[in-house]
Amino acid sequence: MIRFDDVSKRYPGGHEALKQVSFDMDRGEMVFLTGRSGAGKSTLLKLLMLSEPLNQGQILVGGRNIHRLPANKIPYYRRRIGVVFQDHQLLFDRSVYDNVALPLQIDGYDKHEAARRVRAALDKVGLLNKEKLNPMTLSGGEQQRIGIARAVVNRPQILLADEPTGNLDPQLAAEIMALFEQFNQIGVSMLIASHDLSLITRLRHRILTLDHGQLIRDEHHPSRSGATAG
Amino acid sequence: MNRPANTKGARRERDRRIRINAWASNHRDCALDTIRRMLAQPVATLMTLAVIGIALLLPALLYVAGSNLGQFTDRLEATNRLTVYLAPDISEQSISEIRAALDNSELVGSLQFISSEQAAEDFARWSGLGDVLDSLADNPLPAAFVVQPISADDGTLSSLQELLNGLTGVDLIQVDQRWLERLTGISRLIDRTVMTLVFILAFAVLFITGNSIRTLIANRQAEIRVMDLMGATRSYMARPFLYMGLWYGLFGGLVAWLLLQCMLLLLREPASTLLASYGPQYQLIGLGSIGAAVLLLSSAGLGWLGAKLSVSRHLRALTRS
Repeated sequence: MIRFDDVSKRYPGGHEALKQVSFDMDRGEMVFLTGRSGAGKSTLLKLLMLSEPLNQGQILVGGRNIHRLPANKIPYYRRRIGVVFQDHQLLFDRSVYDNVALPLQIDGYDKHEAARRVRAALDKVGLLNKEKLNPMTLSGGEQQRIGIARAVVNRPQILLADEPTGNLDPQLAAEIMALFEQFNQIGVSMLIASHDLSLITRLRHRILTLDHGQLIRDEHHPSRSGATAG
Repeated sequence: MNRPANTKGARRERDRRIRINAWASNHRDCALDTIRRMLAQPVATLMTLAVIGIALLLPALLYVAGSNLGQFTDRLEATNRLTVYLAPDISEQSISEIRAALDNSELVGSLQFISSEQAAEDFARWSGLGDVLDSLADNPLPAAFVVQPISADDGTLSSLQELLNGLTGVDLIQVDQRWLERLTGISRLIDRTVMTLVFILAFAVLFITGNSIRTLIANRQAEIRVMDLMGATRSYMARPFLYMGLWYGLFGGLVAWLLLQCMLLLLREPASTLLASYGPQYQLIGLGSIGAAVLLLSSAGLGWLGAKLSVSRHLRALTRS
């Protein structure tokens, strides 16, 4: 599903964020990406979202070299990928409902179909009763769950998350991870960056470890997700 | 996931229809949402509209001035009259001779005699200074022939002048054409000024809308970044701003039109009096419905274009990918 082939990324100014990173990730797999701050986790996700250009190597998603996509195809590629941000990136000028509906509006969904999907996504994250509120009035954990609802509402094939539990207490963090596992069980491929080692080792999924831009460890746990997917 | 081909085709057709509907409703939403945003910030909106309106008022006003002046030049274009003023102490005999000479000339199309009494009467009526004339012992106004030549070319006019100069009792020959030339000159000058001003102020409107749109984009950076990552196309992200530019232009044009109507209302009384003194066929002309339509359409177009230029520059900077 996702394949990194000798990928290097150097930022203008010379900082080398990724050095010759190569790995494969299967469809329906759930993979954690860990390492210290500045190890290159965010850069790796940004390369997948096509929000940064790469300097060397190639990234294949579904067999296609995404950094070779023509500019007018990039939006359609991004629609197949859900993204959860550490700071959730919600828009405070509109309701919870409208935040979650945004990807569907962008994709040109019919209003009734969109409403059905938004409610299903909000139901999934347990916030159906808060759809009319402004996200500003909700707690950090709730805001992150809205961000997740927004990321999955378009039923993406791949879900990327950058430190999704970074600002949450351990119990809320575990709840968020449990939510991710549920999405993974219905076949969504997940790549989650997190520095919370104690949390992710407990979850027994594959873990990629980055250090100073290099992939130094790739640990496969007996996968629970692989068996149930499909 | 395997479905029969015909169901798949029907589904694709249905999807296509849904997408077109969604596109149309997105346009409608953008159009209405931008108006709501304008109303939510009435002071800022009004200032922008006023600046656009004033910028557009100037060329519109000059255009109206030009078309009023055009009434004269259009109507007088064909006439190249000569006014032949006769000596004050001219005898009836000499007048008859001059009349006969002009009547017999093949260069003269038509001829009109204005006696000095009639001239005094006309002067009193048009100038309102009849009392001044009455107070004078003698009527100072000379009698005159108004000669309409058969053609307006220079040859005919100079031959006529030659003929008249040979006659006794002719005091002064005035070619009305010179006056007409000057008027036409002024009229052309105004037209040229309008064109230049339209050009310059069109740029002004582009800059004003472009700058307003730049501020709006800056205020919605977060939204644009998020939409970009969710796969919004450039045209989707640009759409609300293009509508904003369109409304700025259209409503700015409307402001210009309203200001112009106010000015015409104030000017109507003195201008009509002035024009009527030249004859009943002259009256104050406004912008007219076609002029108004041109004003609104071009201002809306300029607003849209200003937004378009601004949006494509700033969106590219925000959504570097």
